[in-house]
Amino acid sequence: MRSSILTSGTQTPLPGRPADDVRLTFPRVVRSEWIKFRTLRSTIWTLATTLVLIVGIVTLFSVAFASQAGAGQSTEGDGGAIVVFSIAAGLAQLAVTVLGVLAITGEYSTGMIRSTLAAVPRRLPALWAKALVLAVSIFVVSLVAVAISLAVMQLVLGAKGRAPDLGDSATARILLGTVLYLSAIALFAFAIGALLRHSAGALATVLGLLLVIENLFLIPWKPLQLVSPFLPGTAGSKILMPQEQIDAMSQGAVGVTLGPWQGFAVLLAWVAVLLTAAAVLLRRRNA
Amino acid sequence: MIEAHGLTKRYGAKTAVDDVTFTVHPGKVTGFLGPNGAGKSTTMRMIVGLDHPTRGTVTVNGRRYAQHQRPLREVGALLDAKAVHTGRSAYNHLLAMGATHGIGRARVREVIEMTGLETVARKRVGGFSLGMGQRLGIASALLGNPRTLILDEPVNGLDPEGVVWVRNLVRYLASEGRTVFLSSHLMSEMALTADHIIVIGRGRVLADAPVAEIVGRASGTTVRVRSPEAARLVDLLAGPGVSVTSTSPQWLEVTGSTAEAIGEVAAAARLVLHELTPVTGSLEDAYMALTKESLEYRSSTIGLHPDHLRADHNADHNADHVLADTKDVTR
Repeated sequence: MRSSILTSGTQTPLPGRPADDVRLTFPRVVRSEWIKFRTLRSTIWTLATTLVLIVGIVTLFSVAFASQAGAGQSTEGDGGAIVVFSIAAGLAQLAVTVLGVLAITGEYSTGMIRSTLAAVPRRLPALWAKALVLAVSIFVVSLVAVAISLAVMQLVLGAKGRAPDLGDSATARILLGTVLYLSAIALFAFAIGALLRHSAGALATVLGLLLVIENLFLIPWKPLQLVSPFLPGTAGSKILMPQEQIDAMSQGAVGVTLGPWQGFAVLLAWVAVLLTAAAVLLRRRNA
Repeated sequence: MIEAHGLTKRYGAKTAVDDVTFTVHPGKVTGFLGPNGAGKSTTMRMIVGLDHPTRGTVTVNGRRYAQHQRPLREVGALLDAKAVHTGRSAYNHLLAMGATHGIGRARVREVIEMTGLETVARKRVGGFSLGMGQRLGIASALLGNPRTLILDEPVNGLDPEGVVWVRNLVRYLASEGRTVFLSSHLMSEMALTADHIIVIGRGRVLADAPVAEIVGRASGTTVRVRSPEAARLVDLLAGPGVSVTSTSPQWLEVTGSTAEAIGEVAAAARLVLHELTPVTGSLEDAYMALTKESLEYRSSTIGLHPDHLRADHNADHNADHVLADTKDVTR
C-alpha cells in the first residue's frame, strides 16, 4: 500500500486558524446520521421489506375480497376492506422494529458509537438526529406503501364500488394511522435499543413485549386487564381499528377503553418516557 | 495542549487510572508508554469524553473536549481501530464523520489518499485487515485537520512500511506545531518516535521526562569495578557526589563518577583492576525498571526459584538503580 505523508496541498494550514466553516451544528449531525442510515444494507432491506409487506398484504387481501364480493357475499360496508391495514401494519411492525433497534445497537456492537460520540461529544444531538432520521424515513416509506396500496385497492375493488372512501374520516384516520403507528413503533424499538445497547437483547425485548407479553395481558384476570389497554402495542394499534371494532372490544371490557387517538397518545407517551431515559443514560454512561 | 489534573477512573472496585497529572505540549511527539492494562486507553478515552472521570479533570486547549464548538478540529483521535461500523464502506464512514462538522468530500478523498486507502475505500470495513483498519482510524483522526492528535497504539497491526509511515507522519504533524499524544507498549518504537515520554503503570504516572533524559538516567551513571583490592579502592573513590557500594568481595558499583576517573585513581594508587565497565542502559532497561512493579499480567517462570535467575544479576541490579533514580526525578 503506498501512502504519502503530506496532504495534497490544499488542507494543511497552520493549526489554530479557524477561517473556514468547519463547525458542529445540529443540521449537520442530522446529515451525518442520514448518511450513516442510508449507507447500510440492513436499512435498505428492512425498508424494502416494510414496503413489500404492506403492499403485498393489501394486494392479496383486495383480490380475495374482490372475489368474495363478486360472489355476492355480504360485507359490512367499507369498514371491511380497510381492516387490512391493521393486519399489514401488524406484520410490517416486525421489519420496522428490527430497523429501529439496529439503528442504535449496530453502533454499539461494532464500536462505531465511539466514533459517533467523539465527533458529537455532547452526545444528545446524535441521539435526536438518529431518532429523527429513523422516524422520517419510516414515515415516508410507509406513506408511499399506503399510497401504492390504495392505488391497488382502487384498481381491484374500485369497479365493484368497494374501494376505501378517503372522504370517510375513520378511513382517513386508519390510513394515516398506519403510517404514524409504524413510525412510533420504530421509535419505541429505537429507545429500547438505546437503553439496552445490545441487538439481540433489545430485539427480544421489543418483539417479546409486542407479540407475547401483551397477549398474556388478555388473560381474563382483572389486574392484567386493567393494565392491558395502556401497553404500547395494544394502545397504539387502536389507531388502526375501525370504530365498530373498538366498540365491539369495549363490550364487557374490564379496564378502560381508549379511543384511537387516545391509544396512540399512550404509545407516544411510552416513546417519550423511554427516549428520555435513554438520553439521560447516554449522557451518564461511559461509551 | 492536553492538561490532566488528578485524573482518576474507577470501574467498580478496580482503579484503572489513579490520580494522574500531566501536560502534553504542542510541537512535539509525546509518548504514553506502559504495559497492557496500565490505564493508557482509559486515560485517552477520558480526554475525548468517552469515559467520565471518577475524579479530576482533563482539558484540551483549555477546555473540556465536549465544550468545543468544533471538536474534530481540536482533536483527532484513534482510540480503537474497530470503532467503525463493519457494514459501511471506509469512504461513507469518513463522509458521515466529516458531515457532522461540514467537512466535505474533498477532504475525505484527501485523507483516504494520505493513508493509502484508495483501493479499498469503497469496500465494506468488515473485510478490512487489522492494518487497513488502523489506516482508516488514522484517516478519521486526520479528517478534521486537528490541532491535537491522540493515537492509541497506532502501529498495531501495521506492516514495517506502515510503521515507518506512522513514525514520519506523527513527527511531521508535531513539526507543524500540533500536539501529538501517542500510546504504545513498545518502548523501542517510542525511542524512535517520541520526544517526550510519560510512563504509566497500574494507573499511575511513573515518569514524565524527555526521552533523552529517561535513557540518560539508565546509562552512564554507574560504573562496575572488579578488583582484588576492592576494599582499598572504596576509600580512595569515596567523595562528595560519589557513592560506592560493594556487591561482593571483589565487586564495586560506583555511582557519580566515570570510568576514566576511576581508572586514574586506581593507576595512581597502583591498584590492579580486573574490570572497569560503564553500565550502559537503554530506554528498554529504564522502561522495564519503571514498570516491573506495575505489570498487570506477568509471565511466571515455571519451576525456577527467583534466586536461580541470577544470570541476569547485573541487568537486574541496574534496573533497581534506575527505578530509584527516576522516582527522585518524578517527585
